[in-house]
Amino acid sequence: MSTTETAVKKNIIDMFIDGMRSGLRIAITNMLPNVVLAFILIRALQVSGLLNLIGKVFGPVMALWAMPGEAATVLVAAFMSMGGGVGVAASLYLSGILTPADVSALLPAIYIMGNPMQNVGRCLGTAEVNTKYFTVITAICIINSLLAMWLMKALLVLF
Amino acid sequence: MQNEKGTSENLTWASYAAFIFAIIFFSGIFASSKDWLQVFDFSVLNGSFGKITGEAGKTFTFRGIGGSGARDGFMFAIELMPPVLFALGVVSVVDGLGGLKVAQKLMTPLLKPLIGVPGSCGLALIANLQSTDAGAGMTKELVQRGLITDDERTIFCTYQISASATITNYFSSGVALFGFISVPIIVPLIVMFFFKILGANMMRLYLKAISRQEMPHNMPVGK
Repeated sequence: MSTTETAVKKNIIDMFIDGMRSGLRIAITNMLPNVVLAFILIRALQVSGLLNLIGKVFGPVMALWAMPGEAATVLVAAFMSMGGGVGVAASLYLSGILTPADVSALLPAIYIMGNPMQNVGRCLGTAEVNTKYFTVITAICIINSLLAMWLMKALLVLF
Repeated sequence: MQNEKGTSENLTWASYAAFIFAIIFFSGIFASSKDWLQVFDFSVLNGSFGKITGEAGKTFTFRGIGGSGARDGFMFAIELMPPVLFALGVVSVVDGLGGLKVAQKLMTPLLKPLIGVPGSCGLALIANLQSTDAGAGMTKELVQRGLITDDERTIFCTYQISASATITNYFSSGVALFGFISVPIIVPLIVMFFFKILGANMMRLYLKAISRQEMPHNMPVGK
């Protein structure tokens, strides 16, 4: 972008470098541990045979979204951590369990779920929302997350 | 309306240019462009890792094939780092040039009809794009200063918690899945905003429903 004439305090290079620095910090302290944890988790589930079991048990439920039962692990992980949900989805895709269509549907769903385990405190707690609404807000997030997967699967037809 | 400091005072043409650039850059419109226009695409500029040719002529990146567990997760995370740095660098420039304030200016008049909170929530709304904590902190302040009611806070926070820190999260952890999806990367982002707004409205309806239920008890006696 040519933005030479603007009177900004920091120049564009500085801003870019600062942003990348915070990107590096987020990547190392947040994304990487989440991804590693997710890969360990999936490995543990695979080795123990639990992933197979989860696939069978949740198969009929996840079939509502035309997904394999194993996809349920993504949603459970997303409830606890957005990065974890993404990591589990990546690991399942790389193991050949999820298709690109499944991943496309799960990606927004992971974020819409809103990571209630952490964000009830960080968002609702910080803003001092009345605690009697916490359950309803969490329920709305979960419902929307499930609806988003249908919407994405429907939108996929366009691409 | 009181909370407009920094909204329109330093919006220059560069702010608008930065805002439009960000949308184009991350939308993937020029991803498959064959000419010079592809320079305006995030994934094109991310490039690719060099390939290593192994046994039987198979090619792969430094991560290799067939890894698993913590080690594979670590290598995968390393692969993801460049786009995270790049995306947050771009977001920082767009923010620094006032591009996010353009979003705020465009959204402020829409807040009331869209999610039922006053325009004074604009700044917190934009903060929520980058940080869960910043948006939530500002919301608490809005209530303390009497700019929004308790119900408005509940509705606004329902908007905020779902896909919170939208841009930061999507362009850091979300990057892990960008290579595996079959839609342009802007599509899941739009879907996220759609459901954030829908969620706020579900809360709006819920609050309306319970206030109607509680009405008979709270109704003042007499005049």
